[in-house]
Amino acid sequence: MSLDDFVAFSSEVTGFTEFDLLGTGQAQSYRDTVAGVVGEQGLAELLSAYRREVTELSDEQLRAEQLTRSVLGDPRLGPLARNIIKLWYCGVWFGLPGHEDTFTASPQAYPQGLLWYAIGANPPGARAPGYGSWAGPPRIPALPASPIPRSLTRNPSAG
Amino acid sequence: MTSQTQLLDRPLPAEIDTVADLEAYLNAALRLEHATIPPYLTALYSLHPGTNSDARHVIRVVAVEEMLHLTLVANVMNAIGRRVDLTADDFVPAYPAHLPSGETDFLVSVQPFSPAAVTTFLNIERPAKAPSEGRRLLPYSDDLGAGTVLAASPLNPGVRFYSIGEFYAEIDRGLRHLDHEYRQRGEELFSGDPAWQVTEEYFYSGGGEVVPVTDLASALRALTLIAEQGEGLGGGIYDGEGELSHYYRFEQIQLARYYQKGDVAARPSGPRLDVDFSAVYPVAIDTELADYPAGTPAFEAAETFSRTYADFLAYLTAAYHGQPHQLLDAVAWMFRLRDDMNRLIRNPFPGRPGVHASPVFGRGPLERS
Repeated sequence: MSLDDFVAFSSEVTGFTEFDLLGTGQAQSYRDTVAGVVGEQGLAELLSAYRREVTELSDEQLRAEQLTRSVLGDPRLGPLARNIIKLWYCGVWFGLPGHEDTFTASPQAYPQGLLWYAIGANPPGARAPGYGSWAGPPRIPALPASPIPRSLTRNPSAG
Repeated sequence: MTSQTQLLDRPLPAEIDTVADLEAYLNAALRLEHATIPPYLTALYSLHPGTNSDARHVIRVVAVEEMLHLTLVANVMNAIGRRVDLTADDFVPAYPAHLPSGETDFLVSVQPFSPAAVTTFLNIERPAKAPSEGRRLLPYSDDLGAGTVLAASPLNPGVRFYSIGEFYAEIDRGLRHLDHEYRQRGEELFSGDPAWQVTEEYFYSGGGEVVPVTDLASALRALTLIAEQGEGLGGGIYDGEGELSHYYRFEQIQLARYYQKGDVAARPSGPRLDVDFSAVYPVAIDTELADYPAGTPAFEAAETFSRTYADFLAYLTAAYHGQPHQLLDAVAWMFRLRDDMNRLIRNPFPGRPGVHASPVFGRGPLERS
């Protein structure tokens, strides 16, 4: 499974665009982190299920329901998918049954966590925002116009 | 005719004779100081996060001091009661820009960190004194392409200085000359409102203190700080505050070793400086917005950044126009620009395998449609 597949899936489940995700500089590192824990096969199963069950649907409501049912609600794939969401937001891989270790993906994962962008704040101790900037309101980015990853809308029949 | 023009074999602009001449030179100096910032920042943020911490620190310090230099020139401009304007269409140069290095010139590109980029940075900061009075100003060819010629005479098209050092020497001469003239007439050259000066309460940074300009002595001190931070004091490797000058800071990257106290030029004896030229995003060189395929997220991000940068220059202009307290908020704005640049640079350039996106620095209304 390519990095593009991983980023497209990540975009749909995190609510950030593929451009934003690549812009953290962490995509390859996170993909390798996931594959390192559950194996290439485990990651491929998740991304294949997403591709097969979800990406063909163009109706956003149907798509969300199908994502919940066949990926997030799947007893095996669901925990892995939620772990990937948490990895993007916090930079931390949380232990799963069978893979008990909890760890930070890399020193850069913490300052690049999506949670900081989502709340319009800087990670304490990193990405300095400038003295006194905390007196102003947080700048919270708008949600993407569509939850459907851009790379998938351009080639709706791909895969 | 001044003594300098008599030494040259063709009519050249020689000395700064009027306040309007001085204003033109200071405007050229603002452009020159600013022109170094996009190349430095792009190289800085092309470094992979978590790598090249030595090079990152060196480039960052120099970039921040170039921002100080811009402010120092603005202080001189305000001190003579003339207006600082960073919003003119030609304020941001067209890259690759031309800078003089003695008899020849060299190109300054917005490019990723690389050995070539480091060589360019050394050229920018190189100390160079013209071999004779007559070689301070040199004609340059008209067919240099679209790139802006920096350190050129703002009064006489087609003529540029031997070096940045000689360009500033001209301003130094002009200030002394005009100050003397004004005094003889019982007038004051430095008639600007002192409240418009950027003082240290509005400008904080690691390297060098901002110099409020109210008279000839402080004006010359401001210009001396610019020169010394770039090329060192009196041929040494340090400036007047005991800080390593920019040229030697960059040379540490080239020689992969730090200078330490007691060292002489070209022979640093400090700890090793580790450089990894492979841990770099290969950003597109001298990108224009038109290079990006329309409708791609990278185009949209580059366009937004370009517009934001132009807005930021307008904000700085207001700060230099009697609102120095605005510089405090400008710092937060600069950090947001940093985050935007990083986000762009970490993305691939659409349709160009192996190339990454690169920031385009807003160039006024032309690119703001």
